[in-house]
Amino acid sequence: MSDVNQVSADAEEEQFSPHETPSLPVGQWLRKNLFSNWANGILTLLGVLAALAALRGVLNFVFSENRQWDAVRTNLRALMTLSYPESQYIRVWVALGFIVGLAGLSAGIWANWGGVSVRRISTWLMGTGALLALCVIVREPSVILGSDGKVIRSIDGSLRRESFMDAMVDRSTWWIAAVLLLAVGAALWSRFSDPVRRRVEVSVTSVVFVGLGLAVLSLWIAPYGHYAFISETKSYIAESGRTVAFSTKMPWTVMLILLSCFFFVGRFFQSGRYLGFVKGASNLLWLISPLTLFWVVLRDPALDYGHVISTDLPMGLAFGLLGGALLWGLTRASIGEAGRITATALLVFAIFNWVAAFFGWYPMLQKARISFLLLALAALLAPNFMGEVAKRRQLVLGWVGVTALVHYLATMINTPSTVELQSTEFLGGLGLTLFVALIVVLLSFPLGVLLALGRTSKFPIFRMLSTSYIEVIRGVPLISVLIFFSVMVPLFLPDGMELAELAAVLTGYTLFSAAYLAENVRGGLQSITKGQYEAADAIGLTPAQRTGFIVLPQALTVSIPQLVGQVISTFKETSLLAIIGLFDFLRVANSVIPAQSEFMGVKREGILLVAMIYFFFNFTISKYSQRLERRVGLGER
Amino acid sequence: MSIDDATTAANDRLAGSEDMIVCVDVDKFYGDFQALKGVTATIKEGEVAVVCGPSGSGKSTWIRCINRLEVHQGGDIVVDGIELTNDLRNIEKIRSEVGMVFQQFNLFPHLTVLDNITLAPIWVRKKPRAEAEAMARALLDRVGIPEQAEKFPGQLSGGQQQRVAIARSLAMEPRVMLFDEPTSALDPEMIKEVLDVMKELARSGITMMVVTHEMGFAREVADRIMFMEGGEIVEVGTPEHFFTNPTEDRTKLFLSQIL
Repeated sequence: MSDVNQVSADAEEEQFSPHETPSLPVGQWLRKNLFSNWANGILTLLGVLAALAALRGVLNFVFSENRQWDAVRTNLRALMTLSYPESQYIRVWVALGFIVGLAGLSAGIWANWGGVSVRRISTWLMGTGALLALCVIVREPSVILGSDGKVIRSIDGSLRRESFMDAMVDRSTWWIAAVLLLAVGAALWSRFSDPVRRRVEVSVTSVVFVGLGLAVLSLWIAPYGHYAFISETKSYIAESGRTVAFSTKMPWTVMLILLSCFFFVGRFFQSGRYLGFVKGASNLLWLISPLTLFWVVLRDPALDYGHVISTDLPMGLAFGLLGGALLWGLTRASIGEAGRITATALLVFAIFNWVAAFFGWYPMLQKARISFLLLALAALLAPNFMGEVAKRRQLVLGWVGVTALVHYLATMINTPSTVELQSTEFLGGLGLTLFVALIVVLLSFPLGVLLALGRTSKFPIFRMLSTSYIEVIRGVPLISVLIFFSVMVPLFLPDGMELAELAAVLTGYTLFSAAYLAENVRGGLQSITKGQYEAADAIGLTPAQRTGFIVLPQALTVSIPQLVGQVISTFKETSLLAIIGLFDFLRVANSVIPAQSEFMGVKREGILLVAMIYFFFNFTISKYSQRLERRVGLGER
Repeated sequence: MSIDDATTAANDRLAGSEDMIVCVDVDKFYGDFQALKGVTATIKEGEVAVVCGPSGSGKSTWIRCINRLEVHQGGDIVVDGIELTNDLRNIEKIRSEVGMVFQQFNLFPHLTVLDNITLAPIWVRKKPRAEAEAMARALLDRVGIPEQAEKFPGQLSGGQQQRVAIARSLAMEPRVMLFDEPTSALDPEMIKEVLDVMKELARSGITMMVVTHEMGFAREVADRIMFMEGGEIVEVGTPEHFFTNPTEDRTKLFLSQIL
């Protein structure tokens, strides 16, 4: 028997070109991998049975007559943004649209997504079709409903279910979908199976765009997701007489258009003279825009123009101009020792300001403390920009830009919101979760890299500071960091000094996440061989150039898996925000919806949805990182 | 024959040339171990000096001291009139004038061959990208691999990688090239292609200091051969003197083992 197989396998191999690994026919593959001996066969059967049982359990749970999916459908808006007022909802879409556009731009600039073979796509289609058919078959037959819509029970009280055949007929829509998928997949498979066509590929971008396009199109043609009821009192629950598809089809279409437009803008710049500039600009926007969208666009601060003109503006101008002048002086070539003394004095003063803040010795606006600290750091950096006018101008302009940004954001964060709310925080649900995750990941990234560089620096003072910072933070649980920043920090602040709670929490979370990122980056840094440093030195690169061009790119590449792991856990751990009183995604499902009089105690549906959405995001991130690894791995091979 | 005599002999071709590398009494310690014991030597502009000796004799340490990859503790090193001190500006100046080729190539694996070569000209010499790329392609042509410009180092053979490394050093238009055992990590069939490039370089008149075990190369192109053992220069001479009539017993022993 096995001899015969061997011969046919050999015959099969001859059809392929020699450098291509032949794929076995399905029957032989099964025999070789799953049923090679009787023990293996039993294990395979047991595994299949367990998988089927699990699938059946999940399906029965989802489609059980006890599930109230209306609770989720009707509360979709609460799950996304909690009580954000409907009249202001355009702000949410604007914020989302900005990020979607930015993502499209970055994808266009950076991505060389490569292709995927049509055969591969056909196997996906067939796999989905088969899975769908399997779901239809294994799901328990439905409970029979009487003409009054009530469940019919038999005499002993158990539920009456329809017969298996009736159930199959009832689910004919699903059958048609499954068969269609299988048929299209099989047609593609057979059409692209000859040696030439089997290599035909379509670009991943077009697959993604077709997928997104179909999803948006479905909103227009299938008005699914009827809201269960319209609440008069809770305006955020549902719109009157609408479906989910109806109320979101327009915004999502705009999102898709934004995404594709900016994608092609990015593509346009991908091969051009301005690539460097566009890359820099998009990176800067990624750093700044989530904060701005979160606190300015979504909150719509009620600026007190009297205060702005009397205090905020003059202070910003003073720091920008006087600080700029100071830095211009510090970068003179002839400054010598005086520069170092000035910078050190400034640093001591800046740190003293923070100490004073904790003891309440003298009042000072928070903005001023932050600005003094930043100015001291810029002064310490000044020697690197010494000499040429162009370099000096770079530092001064950079300082003015940073000052403007910090003062603008600080003013906005400390101004009360005009958006009328029913809860304490202006945003909740998935919106809060995503914004917090995005801001924390984006801000902790540069900080983490700096900490890692500090920890591996040859200057003992940097090494000591970074190491103790990292070790202290890593020795403390996230919850205590969050509680510390939300409860303790405001207590320490002197009178008249305020810090929005959410801002404080974000600061704490960023500082926490940066310590972990730093350790991951350090692992990458340590994998760079001594030879790379020596080669960079030998061709005359400065230490900063060596770090930026040689060491960091390789170190970050090596640590991609750990960094992505960190991003994913940061995203998931945003659910801890619930503990300090914020209404994150999970908390809305877990405690807001079950508290509504209409859906008293309905929890499981919401939590299942939350789990699915978390999984969707994290699985996407994980898949993308695998692609990224393969792509940047090119240099290694 | 003393060291001074040999130096005089080598100077015939280089008569009138200026001193390029001057080492006086250079000492280097690793903890208690003294790796260099008062190394004194002068290399003229345009000279090809080969340094050989058994492993652990301090050859590599010495050559690495010359562009400050290792820090010497005693004595003076002067390269092209600039003294190597802790002053960062001097170190940067010397490094941009001295090219170095390593035993392990040390190419940057995440950059293409072209980017490897143009990185320093663009960022250290501030050349426009187009100019730097044109020069890089010319250099790749010179080392015989013009078709590999867009590849990554990992896709090249060892010999090709080492030639890229040579091109990368040359792109800084150095006045001195240091070679630290450039063929020791190569398979035998690739050694020749690298040596050919080095011979062509030697004929072009650049100052070269080469640590190597390739005695054929030394005999053919060296102006002077220095033999080191135990952290000292034991014998200096022209190839002719060195291979046919070495004076020191240690040199004879080394030659008998290696030839």
